[in-house]
Amino acid sequence: MGFKRFIAYLGALALLVALPFLIEGYPLHLVNISGIWIILALSLGLIQGYIGEISMGHAAFFGIGAYSSVLLTMNTGVSFWLALPAAGLVTMILGYAIGLVSLRLRGPYFAICTLAFGEIIRLIFINWRELTQGPDGITGIPSPSPIPLPFGETLSFSSKEAGYFLIYALVCLTIFVIYRIVNSRMGKAIMAIREDQDYAECMGINTMKYKRMVFSISTFFAGLAGCIFAHYMHFISPYSFTIGQSFDLVIMVIVGGMGTIIGPIIGAVILTLIPELLHAIKDYRLLIYGLMLMLIIIYFPHGIAGILKDLKDRCFRDGKKLGVNHGPAGS
Amino acid sequence: MLLQQLTNGFILGCNYALIAIGLTIIFGILNIINLAHGEIYMLGAFVAFFLVTLWEVNFFIALVIAAISMGILGIIIERLVFRPLQGKEEINYFIVSVGLLIFIENGALLLWGTEPRSMALPYASQIVRFGEVIVTAQRLYTVGIAILIILGLHFFIQYSKMGRAMRATEQDREGAMTVGIGINEISSFTFALSSALAGAAGALMGSLFIIQPMMGFSPLIKAFVIVVLGGLGSILGAIVGGLILGMTEVLGAVYISSAYQEVYAFIILILVLLFKPRGLFGKR
Repeated sequence: MGFKRFIAYLGALALLVALPFLIEGYPLHLVNISGIWIILALSLGLIQGYIGEISMGHAAFFGIGAYSSVLLTMNTGVSFWLALPAAGLVTMILGYAIGLVSLRLRGPYFAICTLAFGEIIRLIFINWRELTQGPDGITGIPSPSPIPLPFGETLSFSSKEAGYFLIYALVCLTIFVIYRIVNSRMGKAIMAIREDQDYAECMGINTMKYKRMVFSISTFFAGLAGCIFAHYMHFISPYSFTIGQSFDLVIMVIVGGMGTIIGPIIGAVILTLIPELLHAIKDYRLLIYGLMLMLIIIYFPHGIAGILKDLKDRCFRDGKKLGVNHGPAGS
Repeated sequence: MLLQQLTNGFILGCNYALIAIGLTIIFGILNIINLAHGEIYMLGAFVAFFLVTLWEVNFFIALVIAAISMGILGIIIERLVFRPLQGKEEINYFIVSVGLLIFIENGALLLWGTEPRSMALPYASQIVRFGEVIVTAQRLYTVGIAILIILGLHFFIQYSKMGRAMRATEQDREGAMTVGIGINEISSFTFALSSALAGAAGALMGSLFIIQPMMGFSPLIKAFVIVVLGGLGSILGAIVGGLILGMTEVLGAVYISSAYQEVYAFIILILVLLFKPRGLFGKR
């Protein structure tokens, strides 16, 4: 089993490295964009699947990362490689502050409170014209600065292929960090809180501390995604960070499957690629998303990851039906 | 000037209260936060618009038809979307209503596009003067009807058999079941009532402002703020909260900045959630 698994990982890695040599142009661009959505969905999945709360303002953190990195590189001339962690940190600090307020609430109240913060931040993007250039957005954002290599060569990041490697390196980093968090002591604590906050508190878990920590880490990755998005697209405007994007993210995580790492990845890939692959449904994208969200919540509360796991259990465990027991959605 | 602004705030507040009451009774009785409430409001506005412009129906009759048709839609929604989730965690209701919101809004966008429409009512621009204060006739009608609906609702909930059953369910769900109140009927009826209120509010606001498929979201958020401010489940709270928000927005836009008009509601929301989470008239 261990060997099989090793081969599977190796194959996935080989495919990941080979992908930009197999496709080019617009399809590669789509793969890159879905990579950015994977980072975002994973970071939201940390809040939704592990803290067990629905955050409806996540696109705002995406936007804070994007704007802070753009302002740093374009106004003060800081290199992209310094602006990337800086953008993450700035977002994390703001995320911590917002978490401080909103994490005191639970359930729908938390959701609406984060939605309110998201909208406030979006309105600041639109109205603080001196800084953000308002609804027109900021154009001409430079690509990540090239890295000098020995022998006088430089590693340039202006092509889509380079963008691919940068984005998917970040995707791998995100997966690794989130995997480590979920399987750490902190992960155990946060899952205990998700299952029963009052009980966890009785067990001596400092619930607010862990919730704030996980929330801040989640916003850190949203900030990184924002930074890379800005420097890859070369253009940002407040319309990239609206409640529509926040809802998209919530749907990605729920459709993919809450409380898993693979779930948000599946959700992000499916929801960014399907409307592009099936042009006929492109206009009906959001109509279908809404319907999908309702059907998933009513019939498959563990999302696609849950469906896959159920199928696997049915096929491989001699028909013995094992319930999937993760994620806060099921009761 | 100030008196005129306060009047405008009052008119806005009455309409907000009407939307918020629908949201608050669903929450109070069924413990469901229905984010699709604003979309029903939007559909109500469209029903009234089509009746008035295409079939030249009298506005007041269109208003009644809008309310009734939205009530029926409410029953359908409850049966198809919310009933299957009975007994599951509360947050599932909330997420499913987000799905419904996205579905209805985008369905309406596909059907009717983004172009703004407005009802051209012949008497709408007649002006009524009270001393220094100027109000258009349509606004006056709107406020009058909103107040009538709210009063009617109060007497209905206080004195009718159904109203008593609803209050009993609100106070103690199991207790209500043991004395023979059908929870499913109450659930259907609550949705019907709440959606009819939203439909009526949509028709009223649609007669004053522009009608388009995205018009439902902002009033929804405001209604939610009002409901939290007034105390979840409290009808009196929804009225007072509606008036407070209406006044705050109008005065804030005049004396602070109109660019952030939407933000005032959110600031009120965050402050209330932090310092007085039960709201002004909340019981629990």
